[in-house]
Amino acid sequence: MTHSEMDELYELYLLGALEFEQASEIAGHVNRQCAYCLARLKESSRVIESLPSLIELKQPPPELRARVLAIAKPPRKTSSWPPAFALACAASLALAFWGIGQQKRLDELNRQRNELRSALAILSEADTKTVSFGQAETEPQGRVFISHNGGVVFLGNRLPRLASGKTYEFWLVPAKGTPQPGGLFKTNAQGIAVNVLAKSVNPADYAAVAVSVEPVGGSPQPTSKPILIVPLG
Amino acid sequence: MHPEDKASDALLIAKLKERDPGALSAAYDRYGTLTFSLIVRITRDSSVAEDLVQEVFLRLWNRIQDFDETRGSLSVWVLAIARNMAIDYIRSSHARFTARTKPLDQTDFAPISYKPNEADNTLDNSRTVKEAFTSLNPNQRKVLELAYFEGYSQSEIALRLEEPLGTVKSWMRSALTRLRTAIQEGRAK
Repeated sequence: MTHSEMDELYELYLLGALEFEQASEIAGHVNRQCAYCLARLKESSRVIESLPSLIELKQPPPELRARVLAIAKPPRKTSSWPPAFALACAASLALAFWGIGQQKRLDELNRQRNELRSALAILSEADTKTVSFGQAETEPQGRVFISHNGGVVFLGNRLPRLASGKTYEFWLVPAKGTPQPGGLFKTNAQGIAVNVLAKSVNPADYAAVAVSVEPVGGSPQPTSKPILIVPLG
Repeated sequence: MHPEDKASDALLIAKLKERDPGALSAAYDRYGTLTFSLIVRITRDSSVAEDLVQEVFLRLWNRIQDFDETRGSLSVWVLAIARNMAIDYIRSSHARFTARTKPLDQTDFAPISYKPNEADNTLDNSRTVKEAFTSLNPNQRKVLELAYFEGYSQSEIALRLEEPLGTVKSWMRSALTRLRTAIQEGRAK
């Protein structure tokens, strides 16, 4: 598309009403810091930003204020740990939070411990490749660690809340062929999720990894549009 | 946004970045009702909205360091988070097969209200936008509501309304043009 062809699409892009191909093309311009697109998006945002003013206001229950204010806690000291170790600890914490309160059985804790060991092994492999995703402030964000020898660790934040009866499923997406299932996971209360796939995975065999929402128990193939596709190239 | 609102927002952002609990309280007082209302409008479920409001402010508290004031106001950022969370919720929930499959005129919540509301202080051009919105025809309003509140793409709207995609695009384009013109004229006054 030329810029003049895009002129009528910027507001639709901000609304999220464009089809994938058109939205991807504009997103590409934005990622390349295209000055024309950024200026037009800023202009277009005035219309979209005005829409909430049309909503009929509803008062939240008074107790919600106390729930929100309970979020604020004293500041914590910034970690000076090396990034890989800090990430490993984040993975450990996420795994611990993930299970606590939901599964108290010893076998579940053992499973988590084994998963944590696998994650640490993958993070410490010499050939581990790291891919970051989610640059926009309101999108899911995180990293994928992939090692030929160790496997794959997916660490995500800001994933949408799951409805009951649903789970996230991780997929390895080959350049040709159907996605391969790579594990089921959920987020913890903080919206952090970890999935560890401990098996030999050659990054060259896969074009991307993806995450979709599936019924509890998972699916052999994605049954919904992936909420996340992370190219590995 | 009025200059005093901008200054007030800048102070609030600075205090949030300092992790001042009073700033979270002020942010909730400023944007809590609008955030709750937006989420209720999208999810049509007050109890879900309560949980999501808490998540919105948790994200505001945890991610305020990432907030870039040059890209927009705090209210716009908060409401974008709220809208995305609410749409993500209805997309991933069974609500899609219950409340969301009701015809628009049979839902518990009316479409966009045209009444004046307290949001006038936080968002630009609200009166102008309301007037422009009332001047849209029902089809133009419907496609705009389906896109903004339901997160549907134009082709999904066409399927839902059983109308040709070209017709939906035309309604959407004319609706947005009218709102854009109204805002531009309002700013020129």
